[in-house]
Amino acid sequence: MNDRWSQSRRRFLHTLAGAGVIAAADLGWWDAPFISPRKAWGAEPVHFQFSVPEPTRIALVTSLVERFNQSQKDFEVRVEFVPQAQARQKLISAISAGSPPDVCQVWDNWLGQFQGMGAVEDLTSRVKSWKHQQDVQPTAWQTVTIGKEIVSLPLSVTLDAIFYRTDRLKEYGLKEPTPDWTWDDFLRMATAFSKKDKNQYGYGMRGAGTWAVLYPSEFAYANGAEVLRNGKVTINSKEAVDALAWYMDLALKHHVTPPSAPTDGFVEIVEGFGRGITSMYQHNSGSVGQQKKNVGVQNFATLPVPIGPAKKRASFYFSETLTAFKGARNKEGAWRFMSFMLEDEPSLMYCKTLGLLPARKSIIERPEFTNDPALSGFVNSFPFTIVSPYLAYPGWGGKLDSDGVPLIQQAMVGKISPKECLDRFADILTKDMG
Amino acid sequence: MSTVSVTGGSRRARPLLSMRARTLLTGYAYLVPAALCLLATVVVPIAKAIQMSLYNDVLFKPQDYRFIGLANYMRLAQDPVFWLTLWNSFVWVFGSVVLQFVAGFAAALLLHQAFTGRAVVRTVVLLPWIIPGVVVGLIWEWLYQPNYGVINDLLINAGWLHDRVAWLSNPDLAMAAVVFTNVWRGIPFFAIMLLAGLQAVPEELYEAARIDGAGVLDRFWHVTLPLMRPIIVVATATRIIWTFNYADLIFVMTSGGPANATQITSTYTLLQAYSNLDFGYAAALSVVLLLVMLAFTAAYLRVTKGVEETG
Repeated sequence: MNDRWSQSRRRFLHTLAGAGVIAAADLGWWDAPFISPRKAWGAEPVHFQFSVPEPTRIALVTSLVERFNQSQKDFEVRVEFVPQAQARQKLISAISAGSPPDVCQVWDNWLGQFQGMGAVEDLTSRVKSWKHQQDVQPTAWQTVTIGKEIVSLPLSVTLDAIFYRTDRLKEYGLKEPTPDWTWDDFLRMATAFSKKDKNQYGYGMRGAGTWAVLYPSEFAYANGAEVLRNGKVTINSKEAVDALAWYMDLALKHHVTPPSAPTDGFVEIVEGFGRGITSMYQHNSGSVGQQKKNVGVQNFATLPVPIGPAKKRASFYFSETLTAFKGARNKEGAWRFMSFMLEDEPSLMYCKTLGLLPARKSIIERPEFTNDPALSGFVNSFPFTIVSPYLAYPGWGGKLDSDGVPLIQQAMVGKISPKECLDRFADILTKDMG
Repeated sequence: MSTVSVTGGSRRARPLLSMRARTLLTGYAYLVPAALCLLATVVVPIAKAIQMSLYNDVLFKPQDYRFIGLANYMRLAQDPVFWLTLWNSFVWVFGSVVLQFVAGFAAALLLHQAFTGRAVVRTVVLLPWIIPGVVVGLIWEWLYQPNYGVINDLLINAGWLHDRVAWLSNPDLAMAAVVFTNVWRGIPFFAIMLLAGLQAVPEELYEAARIDGAGVLDRFWHVTLPLMRPIIVVATATRIIWTFNYADLIFVMTSGGPANATQITSTYTLLQAYSNLDFGYAAALSVVLLLVMLAFTAAYLRVTKGVEETG
């Protein structure tokens, strides 16, 4: 009797399990399932890696991914947040191991190396037939085009401008600068803002990270210099050396930068301004949202970078991209998700919330961007933006970090002259033009 | 009545292996899993790194991948930053370990004394060791922050400092600052290890020394130190190797800057691998670092061999 009972119990459990599997399979197709998310049989999920995980971005991206998942039932997008400092390293390891994510948020200055590794998917044919192709700014396409291949979709674009404290201008009785301000105006303002006894400095110079090299490079363009001219590295031209000397004098001679400048990276320059240590800093629109919270929207504004002695100026144009990889398991799904993120509402929400500028012309012309005084410095910079010259060769992105930053830091603390700094950097870049 | 048949003429088959051989083989068989694990996780990666170091292996230039013999090592010999990082590594390792040892020994001697609340103090002393290295780096980075860090504020308020000091941004101070942080973090390691050693010293020896008229210093020098030598040797050797490879603090606090002032060989290797994607050169750096550590450890153990035995 026990055996019979045991047998019937086993049979009952088998039946129950079988019924459960069939029910679960069936529920997978329901419109309003309780097994979430609902997805088609056999469809691989799309793995999406997103770096820069700070709370606002995490909430925003999670919500956009959720919205996409609800909009269709063919496959699921799974987002993985990776700290910015580890994102590139993790991606390289994943690519080398042959298991990259399907799609990843990547800065355009990484693309050259990834394309050289043969890792990124060529999107040219998909982009040609994409409905918003003509609406994306041509410069944005430039940043994601390597050779003749379009390798990414530009999710947002960034360019650099100067943040300054309007309340401090009033406090110290300074004249409001105009968008066509010059290096002299900049220095005058930085000097007037510097009150060492109050632990206040005019300019939050950046000494750490890639942009420690890019910011002085933008100043060099204002002095008529170029990184690359006629296929030759000219970063050590007289114009470039003079510009760097002027820039370094902000720290060494005029002392308008905080003493921490040689190791100040993104967090420090943004925090320094937010805490009132500095009254100006150079950055892209990505920190506008943070400064609205830190110092208040009425207490700061942005201006284009100042005009240099050559009556020129340049702001380097970067894209935050969505890039699909050749090793993706669901390429069609990856493309559908990427193109969804550039649709009107997701693009507007993403850029508006984070203070970034959309790559699509029809969206950037909306009042959310054109009427925001905190963004005016960036919007006014579009006429003189150029694609970062350091994107010219895939190896240059790495050299900026490994060699450029230490050289700039040495110049910043006066251990080497601006000329020596740029001569050595020019040598390094020249050797890596292959 | 049952019958029992006995095959009186047959002999038991001789085993293929002798008892001694079987015992020996059984012993080795037990070692096989551990040996396989070591082979897979240590020997193979080292061999792979040595192989990579002989190739031009820049990830984004797969077309240039080729055998180049010792070219990466030649490049390394001519790379001034490598020599700087090697020097920085020695300053970082020996600065950290010597100070950690001295302070850790002092802490161990204190904790060895009987006083109320000793258990609580022992737990508190362990705290810096419990906190993850990256968190320690972040905490100290903010403490050192020249504009709004606590250290400058305290020193200025106490009147010991007039101007704000950029601890991590001044190339002349940055290494000292990160070494100090590492010392703070490493003291508990030595304190606990040496405390365990102190507790193993028989009390009778101190009694005998006291009866012979030995003072505190004599007892420390002639009783404590000789008996502690084995643990001192093991603890310092382990710590030296760890510190050579320990890049977390520097990576978080200064990223090797300013101007390479805190760039040690392990952070430089990371930079070459993940900024320049030059895995061949990074592998050559790793191999050289491994050789330096092997040479040092061998020399250290050789020098301290007699010491250990006398202990």
